[in-house]
Amino acid sequence: MTKKSSWIVAGLLVAAAPAFAHHSFAAEYDNNKPLKVTGTVTKVEWQNPHARFYVDVKDDAGKVTNWEFELGSPNGLMRRGWTRNSLKVGDTITVTGYQAKDGTSLGNARTVNLADGRKVFAGSTDDGGPTQ
Amino acid sequence: MTFRNTGWLLAGTVALTVAALIPSAAGQETPAGGLGGPPRGQFVRGGRGNRLPAGPTPRLPENPLLGVNSGKPDFGGKGMWQVPYIIDMQKQGRTPEGGTIEVPFNPAAKKVFDQRTETNSKDDPEGFCLPPGVPRMMYTPYPTQIYQLADRILFIYEGGAHVWRLIWMDGRKHPPDPNPTFLGDAIGHWEGDTLVVDTVGFNDRTWLDAAGHPHGEKLHVIERYTRTDSNTLRVEATIDDPDYYTKPWTVVTTATWAPGQELLEYICQENNRDLQHLVGK
Repeated sequence: MTKKSSWIVAGLLVAAAPAFAHHSFAAEYDNNKPLKVTGTVTKVEWQNPHARFYVDVKDDAGKVTNWEFELGSPNGLMRRGWTRNSLKVGDTITVTGYQAKDGTSLGNARTVNLADGRKVFAGSTDDGGPTQ
Repeated sequence: MTFRNTGWLLAGTVALTVAALIPSAAGQETPAGGLGGPPRGQFVRGGRGNRLPAGPTPRLPENPLLGVNSGKPDFGGKGMWQVPYIIDMQKQGRTPEGGTIEVPFNPAAKKVFDQRTETNSKDDPEGFCLPPGVPRMMYTPYPTQIYQLADRILFIYEGGAHVWRLIWMDGRKHPPDPNPTFLGDAIGHWEGDTLVVDTVGFNDRTWLDAAGHPHGEKLHVIERYTRTDSNTLRVEATIDDPDYYTKPWTVVTTATWAPGQELLEYICQENNRDLQHLVGK
């Protein structure tokens, strides 16, 4: 892929209205701490400034941690065709993203995939963070 | 901010700016059935995106009911202005001649700016759901619509949250001692096809951009808006604050018309969870 087209692809992936509250990705998330978790959705908050969802993730020892993830504003997601019903409690999903700098079980979600590989919330992301 | 963070921020910025300028192919990622699908009616999306080819500047008709806006460029229509994400007005804006902006900081301003850079802009008032101020309303990527009435122009803005900005065009002057506000006291007039807006009366509680260029209550902003073609709003802002800058400086950016799109409600305050997680380093 040429340099120019890779920028365009990056642009398509990062086409978003970032959430108004919290403008600095770098103040909250660490792009040196990528993460990938798979688990079951326990809650979806379709609210501003960030849509949020919560995932129960089981580690190898069987211990469950409830991870919190944020996306961009629901407005940006809706403009790309997603709705408050796009993700359901009980869905099994794999999330990639970046962990919060303060070490809590909080991440900024970059991709969300259902078990069958379908993407949810694709085409939107938060402000200033790395592109996938 | 580390080099890596700056690099990503810049990448994100370039990417967002590119995305704002080119037709969105995100429409081809239409969610499959069962995931919701694209909402109908309110949104125009998909395929080669929302852009129509650029045409000439639309104009309002000559009509006395339109007062000062009679026969003037039409800044409205069935659509909205997509405001780009200008994180750093110095890096992403241009001088009116198209060159690189040099910010004439005085030492106090540079100190404030550097502190905001070092702490990753964690204290950004926008993080508290406060209004962006001026000209930052055109740098924070929530859409806006511009309504032209007989004696005033109204900007309604999705972000900030859900705020309006009224520009009086009835010939009035600024009040002698305006109460300081987030968006200031704005008066405007036409110079040919350019809307010139003069705003004073700001409080010191906003940042000029996400990078943290500072200002105080003496801020005086002169904006020039020109709809250069049907798709493009040229936004020029001259920043004059003698407490922070040794002389006025001017930033040119743009906004892009999104036909058929509408503003949505954005109530930032409803679930603001990030503040507790913002870390300075």
